[in-house]
Amino acid sequence: MSFFADIIFEARSLAQTLSESVGTPVVRLGVTGLSRAGKTVFITALIQHLTELGAPGARKGRGALPVFRVMAEGRLTRGKLEPQPDDAVPRFAYEDHRAALTGGDDGANRHWPHSTRRISEVRIRLEFERATGLRAGPAALIIDIVDYPGEWLLDLPLLDKTFAQWSKETLDASATAARAALAADWRAFTLSTDAAGAADEIKAREAATLFTAYLQACRADTHALSTLPPGRFLMPGDLEGSPALTFAPLVLKPDVFYGGDTLAAMMERRFEAYKTHVVRPFFRDHFSRLDRQIVLVDTLAALNAGPAALRDLETALSDILQAFRAGRNTMLSAFFRPRIDKILFAATKADHLNHTSHDRLEAILRTIVSRAIAKADDAGAAIDVIALAGVRATREARIGKGAEALDAVVGIPAAGEIIDGETFDGVAEAAIFPGDLPTDPKAALHGETLYGSSAEADYRFVRFRPPMQNLDEDGAPKPLPHIRLDRALQFLLGDRLA
Amino acid sequence: MSTPEDIRRRPRAVRIEPEPAIGFKDRPLASEASIERPRAGKTPIVEITPDPFAFDTLALDPEERAVETAQKRGIFRRSVVSWSGLFWSALGGLVSLAFGLWVTKIVDDLFSRSTTLGGIGLGLAALAILALLVIAGREMVAIGRQRHIAKLHQDFAKAHAADDQPLARRLVADLASLYAARPETARARKDVLALRSEIVDGRDLVEIAERTLVQPLDQRAQAAVAAAAKRVSVVTTIAPRAIIDVAFVLLQAVRLIREIAQIYGGRPGLLGFFKLARSVGAHLAITGGMAAGDSLLQQVVGHGIAAKISARLGEGVLNGLLTARIGISAISVCRPMPFAAERTPNLRKVVPFLFRAEKPVADDQSSSATPNT
Repeated sequence: MSFFADIIFEARSLAQTLSESVGTPVVRLGVTGLSRAGKTVFITALIQHLTELGAPGARKGRGALPVFRVMAEGRLTRGKLEPQPDDAVPRFAYEDHRAALTGGDDGANRHWPHSTRRISEVRIRLEFERATGLRAGPAALIIDIVDYPGEWLLDLPLLDKTFAQWSKETLDASATAARAALAADWRAFTLSTDAAGAADEIKAREAATLFTAYLQACRADTHALSTLPPGRFLMPGDLEGSPALTFAPLVLKPDVFYGGDTLAAMMERRFEAYKTHVVRPFFRDHFSRLDRQIVLVDTLAALNAGPAALRDLETALSDILQAFRAGRNTMLSAFFRPRIDKILFAATKADHLNHTSHDRLEAILRTIVSRAIAKADDAGAAIDVIALAGVRATREARIGKGAEALDAVVGIPAAGEIIDGETFDGVAEAAIFPGDLPTDPKAALHGETLYGSSAEADYRFVRFRPPMQNLDEDGAPKPLPHIRLDRALQFLLGDRLA
Repeated sequence: MSTPEDIRRRPRAVRIEPEPAIGFKDRPLASEASIERPRAGKTPIVEITPDPFAFDTLALDPEERAVETAQKRGIFRRSVVSWSGLFWSALGGLVSLAFGLWVTKIVDDLFSRSTTLGGIGLGLAALAILALLVIAGREMVAIGRQRHIAKLHQDFAKAHAADDQPLARRLVADLASLYAARPETARARKDVLALRSEIVDGRDLVEIAERTLVQPLDQRAQAAVAAAAKRVSVVTTIAPRAIIDVAFVLLQAVRLIREIAQIYGGRPGLLGFFKLARSVGAHLAITGGMAAGDSLLQQVVGHGIAAKISARLGEGVLNGLLTARIGISAISVCRPMPFAAERTPNLRKVVPFLFRAEKPVADDQSSSATPNT
């Protein structure tokens, strides 16, 4: 069944490639990132900058994306949203997210977009003029972007795993120092459950509930752990309460066959069903045909939570990125199975620290994704690592004078954020020095500490509220400020817009 | 983590008083109290620093754009695709065919007279062809090098604007290899290459490379411009005929452009020189309007005062200034990186002696080394 679906999909994708080779070229931009990495904000900022070219605020001066050459050179004439190709998928709620970020006329209500609960899609059409080459003159490029709950990405590594493998890995992981306390309830239940016992729906449901609670606890801010498959347990989307989500890892003895009516067999069946009906279609429909990829990583949240969280993030990202096909395209592969030939790793929320620390942040991210980088590099894909902020919520400042001056950022911390013994109310502005990042990126990954909310942390990155909408002299809104969004766009799309 | 260099500074937060005019009167008093709370004696000062991501610091400036446009019109120009290019190539083909025919005829004639003479003729023809091939090869190499330097210039501008560290590292290595054959740059090359492996921002790396590697070349180039300007102004002042003026100015301009190209990269060759001259011309045309405030006024003023002393002297000053402007344009176009840390040279900086109107220029020739007035 799924085999036929795959064949049909491949045939359709080939037909699509053929039709695109005569029509307007399309770039499928994969915005990849775990939950809270800032996918929605990044996409919103990208759409805003590309579609509001003609807005008076953007016209002023030299444009808001100086490094994005097609725009800086004045060759980009128009950018607009178009109906997306899939009618079954909702459109990315750009207007809502934009409104959330600006928060109405006085900006009092501005807040970051809520976490994404379902998949959505958007298509941007850019009209520009080619400056060089044989095809100089007017041209167009279509950019397809998919937004989805980041938790779902965690499922991709499951595709290659059997139920037994997954059970073992999950149980092993839950015994580590960082997780043991959180997993206590579920572990106690699982260890006392006999996998060879009769299939029992009540028991299965209880196991799933406890397992979900454990995953949810790991994800809380103070722990910020990342490797938590299956993703739909955290963000069920449309599947909430369905039997496909009623399973949990079990203690399985190796080399034992669990017969048709045992609990283990039932769980395994559901695990496989989850893979076939949930994970594979999601991956196939949205990720198997990417041209360019940006991997957004919320490094700061993991840094906040400590080395264990960082290592966990490293594992999660390496596993996920294994699923993507990177490498230089040949004539043949470009037609049949396009590969991702450019991957950008971005440490998001770079506005939470001063630009003098960005190099260290980039170094830490480079260390975290080193395995993925090595693999993509071998395959011939172009790689870059940057610190990025799709929407920049702070300004830069210096606290104190002379040799003891600290390079800080100034913004309005979100209500309830605590740093240096102060609790913020979401109204007061403050200069924040989040602490020095280690010069050696590996130092950030060593140790067993779980900082949590404790005061002895070396660094603490607070969340800021979105920036107040800036108006220019005419009262027209200026585009939202950003950090290196233009560089990201230039890297990802620059060659297609040359 | 415990090494002495790695002393980490602790997180810190300082509240900022909202400006009273905005009026957060209903803010809870507790937070007001926490602002006043003394911290290590007193609340430190928070000073907003200039925005490193502001557009002005990132965008290419008009001067840089002028250089890139000029390079596009000359050095990067591919003349084959144009009709005039086609015409010249076709004509060149015809001429070389005719030449080949003529050579074979001569060799034939020589052979018909005596075998020895024919052999000598054939040998000479072969030698000529060999030399021609070598010259052509050198021309290609020179054009390639020129293009490489111009590309380097553009990439450096990009890296500097975007503060792109990986790109800057690559380019700096490239720049160092460009000057690998010059022993006097050995120290600077080594320093710059060592910096690549340290944490230096892309923009800083570009500026360091400019200060250490390119700046000495700038000085030599500017000295060359000054010398040429001086020669031109003196010769046009004393030359008896206008035609000599024109010929001399042209010759000096050609020599100057070649010399500057040689200082920054290598001998441009004949074809390369044409491309370069085109770029210099384009740059002059573009920046002519831009620099109107700067140099034109100065030229008029300078001419005015000098002309009061003597009409010919005024002409000499004007010709000297013109040569200097050509030289500055040549510097901008030939330089392997844009002026980032250094300032773009202007006339007053390069040929200050032409503006010292109190003293006749001819006298200046001998005493320009000593700073006077």
